[in-house]
Amino acid sequence: MILEVTNLRKHYRQRAGIFPALRSRERFIPAVDGVSFCLEEHETVGLVGESGCGKTTIGRAILRLTPATSGRIVFDGHDITAMSARELRPLRSQMQMIFQDLDAALNPKMRVRAILAEAITTHHRLSDGEVARRIGELLEQVNLKASKLSNFPRELAGGEKRRVGIARALAVGAHFIVADEPTSALDVSIQAQVVNLLRDLQRQLGLSYLFISHDLEVVQLISRRVAVMYLGKIVEMGLADRIARAARHPYTHLLWSALVEGQSKEASHAPLNTRTGAWEPFDFERPVSGCRFAPRCPVYEARGRPAVCTDAATEPQLHDIGGRHYVAGHFPV
Amino acid sequence: MKRYSQTTGEVGESSDLSPWKTADALDLVYVGYGLLIVVLVLVSYVLGAFTWLPYDPEQIRVDLLNAPPGSAGHLLGTDFLGRDILSRLIVGIQAYFLPGLLAIVISLLLGTTLGALAGYRSGEVETLVTYFNNLVDSFPRLVLILLVIAAFKPGIYYIMVVVGVTGVPAVASLIAGKIEFLAQKNFIEAAHVLGLPSRVILLKHILWHHCMPLLVIQATIGMGEAILIETSLSYLGFGVQEPTPSWGNMVQAGANYFFQGKFWPSTAPALSILFTILGFHLLGDGLNGILEGSAGK
Amino acid sequence: MGAPLLEIENLRTYFHSRSKRAFIRAVDGVTMVIARGETLSVVGESGSGKSVTALSIMGLLDAGPGVISGKITFRTDGGERNLLHDLEHYVTLGEQDGRIMEVSKDEAGWRKQVERIMAEVRGKEIAMIFQNPKSALNPFVTVGHQITEAIRLHTPTKHPREAKERSLYWLERVKMDSPRLRFDNYPYGLSGGMCQRAMIAMALSSEPALLIADEPTTGLDATIQSTIVGLLAELKSELGIATLLISHDIRVVSRLADDVAVMYGGTVVEYGPAPEILGARFGLKHPYTAALLASRPSAQNVEEKGGLPAIEGEVPDPIDVPRGCRFYARCNRVTEDIRDACARHEPALKELTPGHHVRCWLYGD
Ligand SMILES: Nc1ncnc2c1ncn2[C@@H]1O[C@H](COP(=O)(O)OP(=O)(O)OP(=O)(O)O)[C@@H](O)[C@H]1O
Ligand SMILES: Nc1ncnc2c1ncn2[C@@H]1O[C@H](COP(=O)(O)OP(=O)(O)O)[C@@H](O)[C@H]1O
Ligand code: SF4
Ligand code: SF4
Ligand SMILES: [Mg+2]
Ligand SMILES: [Mg+2]
Repeated sequence: MILEVTNLRKHYRQRAGIFPALRSRERFIPAVDGVSFCLEEHETVGLVGESGCGKTTIGRAILRLTPATSGRIVFDGHDITAMSARELRPLRSQMQMIFQDLDAALNPKMRVRAILAEAITTHHRLSDGEVARRIGELLEQVNLKASKLSNFPRELAGGEKRRVGIARALAVGAHFIVADEPTSALDVSIQAQVVNLLRDLQRQLGLSYLFISHDLEVVQLISRRVAVMYLGKIVEMGLADRIARAARHPYTHLLWSALVEGQSKEASHAPLNTRTGAWEPFDFERPVSGCRFAPRCPVYEARGRPAVCTDAATEPQLHDIGGRHYVAGHFPV
Repeated sequence: MKRYSQTTGEVGESSDLSPWKTADALDLVYVGYGLLIVVLVLVSYVLGAFTWLPYDPEQIRVDLLNAPPGSAGHLLGTDFLGRDILSRLIVGIQAYFLPGLLAIVISLLLGTTLGALAGYRSGEVETLVTYFNNLVDSFPRLVLILLVIAAFKPGIYYIMVVVGVTGVPAVASLIAGKIEFLAQKNFIEAAHVLGLPSRVILLKHILWHHCMPLLVIQATIGMGEAILIETSLSYLGFGVQEPTPSWGNMVQAGANYFFQGKFWPSTAPALSILFTILGFHLLGDGLNGILEGSAGK
Repeated sequence: MGAPLLEIENLRTYFHSRSKRAFIRAVDGVTMVIARGETLSVVGESGSGKSVTALSIMGLLDAGPGVISGKITFRTDGGERNLLHDLEHYVTLGEQDGRIMEVSKDEAGWRKQVERIMAEVRGKEIAMIFQNPKSALNPFVTVGHQITEAIRLHTPTKHPREAKERSLYWLERVKMDSPRLRFDNYPYGLSGGMCQRAMIAMALSSEPALLIADEPTTGLDATIQSTIVGLLAELKSELGIATLLISHDIRVVSRLADDVAVMYGGTVVEYGPAPEILGARFGLKHPYTAALLASRPSAQNVEEKGGLPAIEGEVPDPIDVPRGCRFYARCNRVTEDIRDACARHEPALKELTPGHHVRCWLYGD
């Protein structure tokens, strides 16, 4: 077990109004609200869900870029939830992140060579020759031309920026990587290159990924297990193929039926996809009690709005339904 | 979940070139002029320091009182005691150059430190820094300086300490703003994830890579202000005292003869002040337009 | 295929980069036809010139000195007109050693001429919806008011009350939930999906002959995307408006398109009926189209958890367009017989089967 996350919560504090000092107008956004999962060595776990459901926040909390509000994060046997920056530093060499935003992830004032050299020398003192050798090795691993070393990030194509980001994560010797939408900002033809690269690296170096994406097909291809998030919670988790084919949660069902529908010309009217107008995205401000998905849930509607779904006391929790498959919901389909 | 950015409309060419190549022509002119002034000031400073001057600036020539420019080898003429104006102008730079540098160093060092504290450590420190800034900012500068003079009758260096300290809030708020802006950028987060100590991230990624232009700009503007304050004080008689030349006391001394038609003893230092301060300000302005303007876009 | 509504012939739209003294060849020889009542989809990677093609049709390009050449013929019942009529008179090129060193353009005259041609067309005969609906709607005016204005401007309905009724009708038509409520909302109060519905309602309300949809679902979530695509499909079958649908998402395209044009590096490399171009038969296809289709995860490689057949390399730089086939550097189907041709000469668009055009040396000489 390389990573174990237990009941992770992250509530962003948002100060509303013009006077930040008036703390009374503070609001909390429960971006991640009680999430538990684990990741084994050499495993890829996909994390899918709509924009804003809290995927990136989970990744940032695991890497301690933002302090968790509550919960426990155990990495490689160390409880890192409350570690000081100093204690955490040696562990940093083992966990890295690939950032969603291509352009913001690399310092625009540094050349590729400097970016990689910095990462290489962060944890090890190496001679210039050794650094150069290691850079050469990294370039080969991520399949980047050596001529790009003296470029600034803005002089790189999207796919190349992504490769530099991956090389930087490998440079420190990480074996666990949070890949936050590594393909979404890229062109279709480049997406496939990056997916292949990530897979090859995993095989060669024995990496583990938390693979965040909203591209269901790619997630299904690259991950062994998939966790589906809705509004700050994991609603279903299980082996990728089972999630894709035998989803039990109404939301997962909708996600994948939207995909299938897109593939075939004659819109296959999945039995669930009947409520038009019910498609507006959630927002954290709308108070919910009970199941967060209820306002959009077709099953809830079809069953005549059962009270268990909206009762705060019976908020559905993830439970095992066998075969490492977990669902949170009162009426699995 | 923005997948594809819409390129149309934002012409893609400006981003992939050095800001100097796409700079506004006017900004380039500003910078060119400013650099010329900086070079002139530096050269003159060195000349003055080694007293490589056409004439002794304090040598009195009773036979050449208020001689017009060009007479007897005095390029800019002489003043009311027959002293060579050009030499006095050159030496006058001594009056503000080092004190000005002191003021700049104080405001940049203190300003950067406080700005970094405020930007990087929110909470109590930020509030404290804000209070300090507001306090200093709320006094009109010149009034504060005059108060200090009235109370302590200090030398020019002490005055420049005051000038430096009053320049701190401007620098601090700029740096703090920049840091707050950068801290949300992924590359700063990436540096944290790499395990770089905060100190390195602050010094290297933030200050060195992204605040240098800002600091240079602030330095040039600060120098302009230091000159203004030194010359104003010397003009008023609070700064450098006769017979040591300062552009300020030269204007003051020459002004008595202005209406007798002897305009050069006051006009030469006055124009020097004007063009020099203008040069530093335009340099700052131009650099700001070129380096910060394109970065902010 | 029905009667042609819009014919684009050899459209070239170049921007001029002063600092690099070169042309950005955003659109470089695009030819395609949109038939009445049919949907033509343009697919291609970002930067391949899809949006610039659309903006050229709409006469909405005004950035810097640029050149547009070719012919865009728009046929309505009232006759036909060339949307680029006489525009070449407003640009002069300064050449030196065969390279264009300087462009001077009478911006004011150009714009006036464009407005003269487009006044009768834009928003009325041809309407457009954009990728980012939030930025295309005026943030300070209620959604309902914007649609009402569009109706009064572009249709015979002039009376405010009737126009309001009409806009409510369109809001209902695009399945906006509680249209009467949304009518008085400002755009910021609407989610991305609702904004896109409002945009579509506004575009359709002027009952145009042609609708241009530039990446209508791109910024939206998967679930919302699929409902918008469903809506477009429904509207298409009910209203029969000819549509130019721009997208990089093959799934969206395959649901809506009758014809497909594949763009690469500013030019159309393949163009024809959707089933032939997007279908599973890889034989008679442009190598780029085939590779593009293959690079998405398919049921098979998801099953096997195998690698994806990626296209190596990057898209060409629009400033430095290769001399031969634009896809040559990345093409895996070059044979020894045609290598020379591929490297040196750009192939022409050739009709393989009726209506199916391919730009590749593999198919004939
Ligand atoms: N620093 C912050 N302060 C306040 N709210 C935040 C902050 N960062 C994120 N949020 C909010 O938390 C929620 C989850 O955000 P997060 O970035 O984790 O989403 P995501 O699932 O990664 O979405 P996407 O697919 O768009 O990347 C969102 O509603 C977002 O607005
Ligand atoms: N206003 C402009 N000025 C200069 N270049 C532009 C402009 N608009 C687009 N381009 C360039 O033209 C090319 C095609 O752009 P576009 O049509 O937006 O691509 P897409 O196929 O993604 O819609 C790109 O290389 C882009 O950078
Ligand atoms: S608990 Fe009820 S509302 Fe929630 S997903 Fe299940 S059926 Fe729908
Ligand atoms: S012309 Fe040649 S290089 Fe171009 S696509 Fe055809 S085979 Fe490939
Ligand atoms: Mg995210
Ligand atoms: Mg586009």
